[in-house]
Amino acid sequence: MELIEQKTEKCVIVSITGRLDTTNYSLLEKKLTDLIDNHEDKILVECSKMDYVSSSGLRILLMALKKITMAKGKFVLCSLQENIREIFEISGFTNIFEIYPSQEEALKVF
Amino acid sequence: MIKLKIRGISLRKGSLALRYSMIFLAGLLTIFLIAFIYTYIFSSKILLEQGRKEAANLTDLTITRIENILQPIQIIPTTLVQALGTPGINEKEIIRLAREFVIESPEVFGSCLAYEPFAYEKKKYWYAPYTWETNSGVNYKILGNSDYDYFNQDWYRLPKLMNHPVWTEPYFDKGGGDALMCTYSVPYYKVEKGKRVFTGVLTMDISLSSFERIVNSVKVFESGFAFLVSKKGKIINYPDLTTINENILDLVKKGNGANTIKAVREMLQGKHGFVKVDGLRAKKDPSFLYYAPVASTGWSLGIIFPEKELFSDFIDFFRKLIIIFIICVFSILITTVLITRRLTIPISRLVEATHRIGQGDFNARLPIHRSKDEISQLTNAFSVMQEELVTYLRNLKETTIVKEKIESELNVAHTIQMGMLPTEFPARKECDLFAMLESAKAVGGDLYDFFFLDDHHLCVAIGDVAGKGVPAALFMAITRTLFRSNISLSIPLHEAIQRINLSLGRENPNQMFVTFWAGIIDLQTGEMEFCNAGHNFPYLIKKEGSVKKIPQSKGLPLGIFEETNYTTRKIKLLPGEILVLYTDGITEALNIAQEFYGDNKLVRLLANPEAKIAKEIGLKLIGDVHSFAQGHEQADDITILVLIFKGTDVAKTYPMENFRLTLLNQLSELEKIVATVENLSSRWKFSARIGMELNLVLEELFTNIVFYAFDDGKKHELLIEFENSGEGIMKIRLIDEGKPFNLLEKTTIDFDKPLEERKVGGLGIHFVKEMMDKVEYERDGNKNVVLLTKKIS
Repeated sequence: MELIEQKTEKCVIVSITGRLDTTNYSLLEKKLTDLIDNHEDKILVECSKMDYVSSSGLRILLMALKKITMAKGKFVLCSLQENIREIFEISGFTNIFEIYPSQEEALKVF
Repeated sequence: MIKLKIRGISLRKGSLALRYSMIFLAGLLTIFLIAFIYTYIFSSKILLEQGRKEAANLTDLTITRIENILQPIQIIPTTLVQALGTPGINEKEIIRLAREFVIESPEVFGSCLAYEPFAYEKKKYWYAPYTWETNSGVNYKILGNSDYDYFNQDWYRLPKLMNHPVWTEPYFDKGGGDALMCTYSVPYYKVEKGKRVFTGVLTMDISLSSFERIVNSVKVFESGFAFLVSKKGKIINYPDLTTINENILDLVKKGNGANTIKAVREMLQGKHGFVKVDGLRAKKDPSFLYYAPVASTGWSLGIIFPEKELFSDFIDFFRKLIIIFIICVFSILITTVLITRRLTIPISRLVEATHRIGQGDFNARLPIHRSKDEISQLTNAFSVMQEELVTYLRNLKETTIVKEKIESELNVAHTIQMGMLPTEFPARKECDLFAMLESAKAVGGDLYDFFFLDDHHLCVAIGDVAGKGVPAALFMAITRTLFRSNISLSIPLHEAIQRINLSLGRENPNQMFVTFWAGIIDLQTGEMEFCNAGHNFPYLIKKEGSVKKIPQSKGLPLGIFEETNYTTRKIKLLPGEILVLYTDGITEALNIAQEFYGDNKLVRLLANPEAKIAKEIGLKLIGDVHSFAQGHEQADDITILVLIFKGTDVAKTYPMENFRLTLLNQLSELEKIVATVENLSSRWKFSARIGMELNLVLEELFTNIVFYAFDDGKKHELLIEFENSGEGIMKIRLIDEGKPFNLLEKTTIDFDKPLEERKVGGLGIHFVKEMMDKVEYERDGNKNVVLLTKKIS
């Protein structure tokens, strides 16, 4: 898995490439925790190149969502692959995450 | 610890200062003691002699004085009596002259001329005119009547009886002088008819107090005194006046010891003497008595003085001497201590510095000692030793660092070497394989190997490089690489071995070699080709438990001679037969009695028809070798490879569509799942989406096991079996030996809860249930078995 962080005027965009599973979820956890600890409360996670996620990865996203919501910030996902979107649906996460089909649409909400 | 503190200097028990001071002191004390005793004895003798002389002189002087008084008293009456009868001297004249003498002589108390009965006048029975002095003057009376019958008194009786003058014992003259006195009595005679007839006596009385002045004037030391006794022991003069006229012998008999009584007796016998007595009368101070007789009267004069007064000056002198001695001893002691300390202080400082060095302070400064004596030499020697120690330790440190570095490199080499040996044993129904290598030193020269040449051809090998350490390990690595690269089904085994031998022999400057045994087993048929290059013959355990060697011409070990020819032999393994490869580290293991483990023990251990698991056989053998060695250091690598051939019949029940994956309970094993699913997706042709779902479900189940199934922190194996029924249905069986865990009992997640109340757990199980078509669980003995069913087409 590879993580790319990009700061824009509106928010921080974190792009995930590859598999997000039990062996590497801690990298994402650290990245997001660092951002939140640095008072970045507007985060967009871009998932167009993420082709696998397990419950460990979902746990991190849920943790980040909880923290940023408490800080009155905004945590948004976009560009989920079809398979991944299915996993989100099965887990019920589509109900609690703001998910946008593309990055452009997601950026509008900030 | 005893410590004496003298002027701030502490003396430890056993220190030189204390020891020498004590020796010195002891010597000094002995000398002084001898001098003391000698002086004491000698001085006391002299003193005693002086005391005796002084007492003798005093006694003589006093006796002379007494005689001076007594003599005229004796001469006058004698002269007067002799003069009687001469013309002009009648008795009246005698009385007159005697009276004058009484008046003139202060010592004479009275005088009497006493007549025999009827000697003076025919009618007068008693007639004794008596003149005596009193305080009021001179008196005169005629003595003699029935109350005062003087004829029986000593002063009259004794001279008459003895016909010569006599001194009487002291007596109280009642009715006469009425005083205590002694009387000198001279008989006188008349010549009648040519015969001397006793007519009477003329007496001179002296008061006992006459000698008081003379005797009392004698003073010896503080309380020494003189006393005068009569011939029969009556006390004439004594400081205590109440004793006068008593008998001294009676007095001493009442309260004194035998020596005193004896002395008094001798005194009364008129002897001279100087003796030690226990005092006189009640006075019990040990005293000295000197006595001598008064010749004219037969009296005796004694001088007595207490011993302690004789010696008092002497004792005083000795007391002072002892004080001076003690002062001297202390001065000498202090001086000795100071001198010895001066000598030993540098040594003590050196000792302190040495202690600090001993505790690891190698820079401790040694005391500076300026003089050029032995202590200085000692200090120099210590200084040299200190420098040497520092150098030695520095060298030791460097050597240790280098050694540690080599050891850590050896450890790395060992890890690499062990990493080259395959440890994942094939999970095949046709066979059960186990191999193990235990190095003697960090890096050894043994090796084993196994791998599949195709689906059913398993290649196994074992080898032992001559020598140990890094060179042996490198040679072993080369051998294994050559083995893997040369073995193939397309050429006969012995040819492959010959090629390896050629390569090893060609570039082998150190002339290293390796014994090697390799075999290729067809798991479908049990046929085995094998080739031996100088290695121990393997053992074959038959199904019923008998053990036999698989013989073959040994051939030369690899690497010795490039042109060596090797041969391939064939045997057929029957289902249930077990092939055991080993190195001589097992048979030549030594115990503390220097005995080999040997082939016999090995065969006996292997001959066990019950053993059906390769790993158990291998571990049991190695355990047995260790317990045999009884702690003796392992001299050589120990390597064993056990292959149980199970036969093709068993294999047939598992079609080739099945696949087994053995995993350890480590997250890193996850990639094997990914690879396997990838592999299966191309083999069994299912979509990427199903692949992802399988991945996801297996990951969730696997991570659950990793995190929760085992508490002991140890490695455990778990098994995943994939089965394709061929009807588009895939079954996956997940088996672990962890804690019982029924995932079906997990409650489902409540998705309607708001975000804040959502828990993250349980999601994985939810995925499993959602994504699989069927999920089953059973607890089989100590195993959790999860059976998943999924349509894949």
